[in-house]
Amino acid sequence: CAAMMQGQTSDWKIAGPCTFHRVVLKNASPHHYMKVHLELEDNSNRLSAVELKHFIIAGLKNLHGEVGAALNFDVLKYDEGSLTALLRVHSSGLVKLWSSLTLLGSYQNQSCAFRVLQVSPFLLALTGNSRELQLH
Amino acid sequence: MVRVKSRYLLCEVNVSESRDLLLLDDRAVAGAVRSAVARMHGDYGAALCSIRLSVKYLNVHNGMVFLRFPKSCYQLLWSALPFITNIESRGQQIPCFLNCLHVGGTIRTCQKFLIRYNTQQLQRILPKCKNAAEKDQVCQEILNCLPTRGSKPTYEGGSEFEDERE
Repeated sequence: CAAMMQGQTSDWKIAGPCTFHRVVLKNASPHHYMKVHLELEDNSNRLSAVELKHFIIAGLKNLHGEVGAALNFDVLKYDEGSLTALLRVHSSGLVKLWSSLTLLGSYQNQSCAFRVLQVSPFLLALTGNSRELQLH
Repeated sequence: MVRVKSRYLLCEVNVSESRDLLLLDDRAVAGAVRSAVARMHGDYGAALCSIRLSVKYLNVHNGMVFLRFPKSCYQLLWSALPFITNIESRGQQIPCFLNCLHVGGTIRTCQKFLIRYNTQQLQRILPKCKNAAEKDQVCQEILNCLPTRGSKPTYEGGSEFEDERE
């Protein structure tokens, strides 16, 4: 049913609760959305949204050069407290962005890591995480 | 049969002063390509360069270069070639740019293209000849560089070709 809720091009002819339904996207969606969490060695260190974006661009430039640094991506939402950010990127640049996030290993001479929590072509899918569901 | 596939790029090195070309060597051209790719595509591009990049042939008289790239990533490496603005060779910076003329799957097809290209160039300079002797010489060159079956193609006529152009 979760797939059914995401489906944009699906025809809404499902009868009854939770039957198997296949969703086919006719054309690939233009953007991908990523929910990432930055883990720092020293938790007292806080960085702002601008610093975060600069940090990611520096990583892109390191791994993919000037072409990578010119990649269009946006920080849609950033929570300084939990160091969690929502990124939007063109689907063509998703692999480049993801790989550079993976290889970002240090921030201001302290080790850090990006945890990619969720990736989806639909922003709505990031409202909830099925891995954190509490089932009784 | 399976073989490792490559792409061969036939490029022309354009310099403002033709005697600068004589300073060039294989290693300088390969180094310039490597640094341009590393600048444009970062560590990823630099790693791709280390796979099978090589300069197969360099004619220092007319500046023709054969570059070999792995087939899987030749477009990415090719995209960095326009950003080469100078080549450092023997301690000197030579301002130049690379003009890609042909992309081929084998050296043989590139060689065929180069022979045809040089013939066209000779035909282009034919009307500019000043006297009959020069004209005859150019005509002779055109006949010489036609690829003939069985005999060895004489496409290394770069030096004569260069003289005619000037």
